[in-house]
Amino acid sequence: MEKLDDLIDFKTGRQKRLIYSDAGIYEQEMEKIFGRSWLFLAHECQLEKPGDFIRTFMGEDEVLVVRQKDNSVKAFLNTCTHRGNRLCKADHGNSKTFVCNYHGWSFSYDGELTGVPLEEAAYQNKLDKSKFGMVEVAQIASYKGLIFATFDEQAPSLEESLGEMKWYMDVWLDAMPEGTELIGTAMKVELPVNWKLAIENVSGDGYHLGWAHAGAMTVTAESGLAGLSVGNSDVDNASAVSVAGMNGNTLLAALDGKSGYAFYNEYQKAWDYLDENRATVVERLGKFRGEKMWGSQLNMTIFPNLQFLPGLNWFRVYHPKGPGKFEMWTWAMVDKEMSEELKQIILNNVSRTFGPAGMFDNDDGDNLQAATEQSRGWRSRQMDLYTNMAIGGEHSREEMPGVVSEGLICEQNQRYVYRRWLEMMKADSWADIPFYNSLEEAQATEGQ
Amino acid sequence: MNLIPAKNDIYLDLQRRLFQEARILSAELYDEWLADILSDDIYYRMDMPQRRFREDKSGQRAPAKTPIFNDDLASLKVRIGRYDTGFVWAENPMNASRHIISNVEVFEMDEKSQFKVYSIVELHRSRLNADRKRFTVGREDIWVKSEKGYQLLERLMTLDDSVVLDSNMNFFL
Repeated sequence: MEKLDDLIDFKTGRQKRLIYSDAGIYEQEMEKIFGRSWLFLAHECQLEKPGDFIRTFMGEDEVLVVRQKDNSVKAFLNTCTHRGNRLCKADHGNSKTFVCNYHGWSFSYDGELTGVPLEEAAYQNKLDKSKFGMVEVAQIASYKGLIFATFDEQAPSLEESLGEMKWYMDVWLDAMPEGTELIGTAMKVELPVNWKLAIENVSGDGYHLGWAHAGAMTVTAESGLAGLSVGNSDVDNASAVSVAGMNGNTLLAALDGKSGYAFYNEYQKAWDYLDENRATVVERLGKFRGEKMWGSQLNMTIFPNLQFLPGLNWFRVYHPKGPGKFEMWTWAMVDKEMSEELKQIILNNVSRTFGPAGMFDNDDGDNLQAATEQSRGWRSRQMDLYTNMAIGGEHSREEMPGVVSEGLICEQNQRYVYRRWLEMMKADSWADIPFYNSLEEAQATEGQ
Repeated sequence: MNLIPAKNDIYLDLQRRLFQEARILSAELYDEWLADILSDDIYYRMDMPQRRFREDKSGQRAPAKTPIFNDDLASLKVRIGRYDTGFVWAENPMNASRHIISNVEVFEMDEKSQFKVYSIVELHRSRLNADRKRFTVGREDIWVKSEKGYQLLERLMTLDDSVVLDSNMNFFL
């Protein structure tokens, strides 16, 4: 395999295409990135009472996330410690025990092995059940409603890992006093796409909106979206920013305070909600975030595989299934304080725009699938790809953290996502992975 | 269920109507679908199933609370308007599709002009290169007899897959 440094060049925005198809690289990603990053598991609201569980994935490892008696949350590998069968096959529900279908071992919802059939007759009571409990994740933590876990004991805290991105996440998670919730259930789609192509698309690619989604934009864009135009005929980059350099986490943000709802056919009701509550949000988050960001179109990416878009209000996690495949789970996310009517409008809009039959989502799949497939051919995979738009435009701004470039059409964020990818792929341990949250820190740690 | 099967002539008329609709949808003649098949009061919905334990109180395979389709005439026109722009690149060249209708059952309803129609639709889509996709959906319709013939008033669908296995659902079932 080629040297990792040859695969990505941060300065010129270059990637080697084989990172989207090579099985060896994918295996390394599972170990070095998914094996030790903080990965999103569930929203607190999905686990209301003790025994409530969700079956999800961390990389390709299947995990059960379970609310405990003391209200804490634990996460376990969804596999029997005897002969490896899957313990739970339901997507979610409530259960106080998980019983293996193979030999009947049963585990309490706190992970302990409590029942072994024929324990006396066959094991002669010599089985130390305390050593065969369900295997827990190394660390679990939540940030304002979002529960994450990591398999790496050495991983720095969730908050340190999120870094200054928290300041932007709060524009949604902490804008209103009661916080957020996910509504509906996960809309799941399997796509024949390398996971990184989906991440880069949402993290920084405002360029594709006016072209790839020209059909959907023509029929849904009731109001203006941050100066973008159908067919990419024109752009007003001054009203929006790309923000990166926050430990691999990124943001795209319009700064008009209302464009998040541009693709709603009932956007006026969402705008009324913004008007009614803006004073509260300004009080909680200050003038800049309350007036410029809350209600704007925001694309948030938490490295490596979580993305959520306040305004369009979809919330999505990607579960890789090999170099050329992932499962994508999408929910609608709302403020708890919103009226039932507005929540229903948002749920319908998420479904119509970014659900499995969503008018926008249905434009992306084929493009990303083709980019994956065209990275497999013997000749094609040797080619380079570029995210080299607006190199040199990176700057600092007094009013916001991170590395900032002007506009939604700008490939700064993708460059920083791939920079993080390379940093994690190269590092033997977390001690070798740099942390940076400003232009100064990002420059000081470049190439480490 | 105390459902009363419809008379044979009604059954045949409605089955003929379902086949006609399937042909229209396979050929993507959406203007014809809007004008001829759908009632102005159409409610068109598809849910995804979830895998839940049978003993789960909310019922096994309870429909997800998030619909894939949850449309009325106006929003269906928006979806169709997107295809009409000519900018839906994924559908050019056209993907060949066949809507196969089976297991048709027709029952009378209290409202004399309305009929409950159960059916299964299997969609085959031939996509790029050797890519072939297949969807199966159970449908529960209400059709209403009008001057324009039988029109679709309500369609409630459940997709059989809990994970959608195609990169888009640029079609109607």
